[in-house]
Amino acid sequence: MASFARPSLLRQTLATRSPLLRQNVGVSQAVAFHASAKKQILPPLPQTIQGTMNDPVPVPSPHPSEGSYHWTFERAVCVGLIPLSIAPFAAGSLNPVMDAVLCSLLVAHSHVGFQAAIIDYFRPQRVPKFNSLCNWLLRAFTLTTAVGLYEFETNDVGITEALRRIWNA
Amino acid sequence: MASLRSTSRLFAASRPFFRPATFARSYATVETGAPAEPPAKMKSFKIYRWNPDTPSEKPTMQTYDLDLNKTGPMMLDALIRIKNEQDPTLTFRRSCREGICGSCAMNIDGVNTLACLCRIPTDTKTESRIYPLPHTYVVKDLVPDMTLFYKQYKSIKPYLQRDTPSPDGLENRQSPEERKKLDGLYECILCACCSTSCPSYWWNSEEYLGPAILLQSYRWLADSRDERTAERKAALDNSMSVYRCHTILNCTRTCPKGLNPGLAIAETKKMLAK
Repeated sequence: MASFARPSLLRQTLATRSPLLRQNVGVSQAVAFHASAKKQILPPLPQTIQGTMNDPVPVPSPHPSEGSYHWTFERAVCVGLIPLSIAPFAAGSLNPVMDAVLCSLLVAHSHVGFQAAIIDYFRPQRVPKFNSLCNWLLRAFTLTTAVGLYEFETNDVGITEALRRIWNA
Repeated sequence: MASLRSTSRLFAASRPFFRPATFARSYATVETGAPAEPPAKMKSFKIYRWNPDTPSEKPTMQTYDLDLNKTGPMMLDALIRIKNEQDPTLTFRRSCREGICGSCAMNIDGVNTLACLCRIPTDTKTESRIYPLPHTYVVKDLVPDMTLFYKQYKSIKPYLQRDTPSPDGLENRQSPEERKKLDGLYECILCACCSTSCPSYWWNSEEYLGPAILLQSYRWLADSRDERTAERKAALDNSMSVYRCHTILNCTRTCPKGLNPGLAIAETKKMLAK
């Protein structure tokens, strides 16, 4: 069936059938259609407009630590990670200070990245409780990762050496 | 031409004896019936319909068939023809029909564009699907609610702000190089194609300004005559207004005027970082 049914053919049959379907929408079909909508993830709320039509939206107060400084920091960490993740393997030497810097930058990078995802997808206006839950979970995970990496660096071989061993295994 | 024909008729009539009937030229004949019409190029258009008068009814896709031989080349021509000849209840915004007003912005075959600048695909096998701009609150059929968009535009103060009068008291002068910085910015017609194609704007439209407004904002940041650059930068320096842009670049891809809002946002970020 699939071998000879060209997409265009399928589309034609669908197109000819769809008006019939629309005429004979049964109760079960209608219920199924309406039930599917309930499963939407976070359906949009009704539109709310603050103030009158002619008022501008409120301008937020400046927060450089969440705005420009944050962005510069984020980019600096991103750019800094590139040489730091290449250097130990290229140099072939193990330096605990480099390892420490790499680990702290990795933790910061992932924290900032996940934070951006939480702000985008779980907005405090839409899901205030889930938003704060996610934020606290993220902080807990970041702390656990930082402590775990510290333990790994001090009591074990460290992240660079571990990666080298896995690579050469 | 008509005079020539009448003289030739007189000539022919005056000399019937000198000319054998076989040599007599036949008169030009008026063709009976219309010339053969080219075969109809029927194309179906599936258009999003929703009527606010019956809000409990779900939005549906309604199919209209048009002969492309009798329709203008652009999507807006097809929409106007459907409204004139098939269904006067079909609702959409349009004004200038030449891509300068930005009224007819809609989602055509999956791309946000202006209906007046979008050619109808000549492939008649596939249908064309027309939706309102995505993730907007729909007023009716293809008409989205732009209230928030315009309120956000107003919030960036889209006008020249100066404290000092111009040196000659006549006009605020600008060098050609400074003027050149505004090319690619002033052409924006605020059709909202880019903003409504931006996933970040879909998620956070209440606080994120969106590519169209940020391009307009950069148009005033880049203007050498404007003297409130610091104030404008401070208004953007928070986590939501600009920095929800993750350089997805749907804005640049979809802009029906060929502008680059992504570049303008990047320049804004560079200005803010300094």
